[in-house]
Amino acid sequence: MRAVWVIACRDFRALATTPLFFVISGMCALIWSFMYIRVLDAFSKMSLQMAFQARGQGQGLSLHFEAFVKHISLVNFLLIIAIPALTMRLFSEEKKLRTYDLLLTSPVTATQITLGKFLAGFGAATVLLLISLLYPLSTTFLTDIQWGPLWTSYLGLWLLVGAYVAVGVFASSLTESVMLAVVMALIFNVFLWFVGSGVDAVDNSLWKGVFEHLSLGEHFLSFIRGNIELAGLVFFFSIISLNCFLTQRVVESSRWR
Amino acid sequence: MIEVNGLSKSYGPHHAVRDLNFKIDKGEVVGFLGPNGAGKTTSMKIITGYMAPTSGQVKVAGYDVFEDPVEVKKRIGYLPETPPVYGDMSVKDYLRFVARLKGVGSSDLDSKLEDALKKTHLQEVQGRLIQNLSKGFRQRVGIAQAIVSNPEVLILDEPTVGLDPKQVAEIRELINQLKGQHTIVLSTHILSEVQATCEKVIIINQGKIVAQDSLTGLSRRMSGSQRLTVKVRRNFEQLSTELAEQDGVVHVEKAKMKQQLYVDLTGEEDQIEAVASYIVKNDYGLIELQSQDLSLEDIFLKLTSDDLPENHEKESKEELLEKSQKNFEGRV
Repeated sequence: MRAVWVIACRDFRALATTPLFFVISGMCALIWSFMYIRVLDAFSKMSLQMAFQARGQGQGLSLHFEAFVKHISLVNFLLIIAIPALTMRLFSEEKKLRTYDLLLTSPVTATQITLGKFLAGFGAATVLLLISLLYPLSTTFLTDIQWGPLWTSYLGLWLLVGAYVAVGVFASSLTESVMLAVVMALIFNVFLWFVGSGVDAVDNSLWKGVFEHLSLGEHFLSFIRGNIELAGLVFFFSIISLNCFLTQRVVESSRWR
Repeated sequence: MIEVNGLSKSYGPHHAVRDLNFKIDKGEVVGFLGPNGAGKTTSMKIITGYMAPTSGQVKVAGYDVFEDPVEVKKRIGYLPETPPVYGDMSVKDYLRFVARLKGVGSSDLDSKLEDALKKTHLQEVQGRLIQNLSKGFRQRVGIAQAIVSNPEVLILDEPTVGLDPKQVAEIRELINQLKGQHTIVLSTHILSEVQATCEKVIIINQGKIVAQDSLTGLSRRMSGSQRLTVKVRRNFEQLSTELAEQDGVVHVEKAKMKQQLYVDLTGEEDQIEAVASYIVKNDYGLIELQSQDLSLEDIFLKLTSDDLPENHEKESKEELLEKSQKNFEGRV
């Protein structure tokens, strides 16, 4: 466990203190800021309109669904691209700079290396996620917000980010080229989102069920609605563990290949 | 300390190493010598547990490298050909990371760090980023990371390659200082390095061990062939034919310089005496007679020349040299 922590700490520092990380988080923050103001603006106009129409009666609009969910889907969209750029270096650069030799000849197991790398990437991605959380939190200065669905949405997003990181780590372990690692991770991430659309392609009810369970969107949506479902938790943990397992096999394979 | 039995590694039809067998005792400094592509790095990587062999067994400190890789790796400090350093870390941070990775406890972490910095004379640069250091310093950082956990075995893969002569001398001195504290295996294709630092030599060529012995033992084994340089004032041509018929003379060759002969002998000192007295007795006007011991370089060239005929003593040294050079070039 200590070795996992040692590797994770070093890699987290190497990830979070590079100009690359600052550029990525800066760009993301810029886009989120620009869009979040527009989302809030649109929400205030719409709710004003609704208030006139309903003449002070009725429920009004939900801030969560109209503003936060739009923000969260933008966060998700940017993270699909940003996280591969973060995780690309974890293995690829080590292989290129030959520092991988050090890890492989140190008294650590392939599992410890993989977990260390995953935790480092997950840590850096979590920092990005926390930056994005600042926007909904800043809204508390303006109005009262519904905390429940916000937290469950962010829990879902955090798990989703974990899945992206695991995918990115796996892609990075496959190649020496950082560019290839980014592209592969991107493709894998996009693929994760599109697996669910297989529902429309099949008639068989059994296969429909299978695709529904594999759909990232379905599971993520339940978190957004404010539900924490066991199926969703299991789904995200499965993606993370599958990718970590595959990475572990790749690392281990360098010992016998 | 290190036991290697029947070690082979092949990549498809290509054999990187074939049936290596050797044993290295505790505290020995062993030079792993061979031309480029002989399989030195491959063997070292297998010993460190970096890769697995196709067949064979390696034991370090009694632990099998493939059964207990973690136990073995705890006892080995390895410096690969390119030092595995992170450019964006300072020397001290990097060494602290390596020490913790190798399982050094936090109680003696600082003392071990200081020790490694002191031994490699890196104290002055300990706060600098590794990417800003010169190649010689980086190499030293590489050695420092190998010794920081104070391992029993040190494996250094071409530690002086690409350094300037002053840095080479410094690294050699450093290795000499480490003697006695660790069992050291050192690979190189530079012969003077082995002569300067090692006690025992394993010469490997095309994946096979062609010789393993102590330095003095190797020279003794080769002393059967001794070479005399003879310079005379008169009748140089006649002497060369006459000497060739003497007992114990294997081969006589005219040197490029006038009046000079190379005489290869099989035997010992009394043959040199016999040749000398023959020349003097017959009044050729001897002005120079010099005996040359075979250097490690000659031994190495003899052993690693591929298509060496059985009676290689008959071949002239120049030919031998040329052939080996062609061999080297061919490989490069």
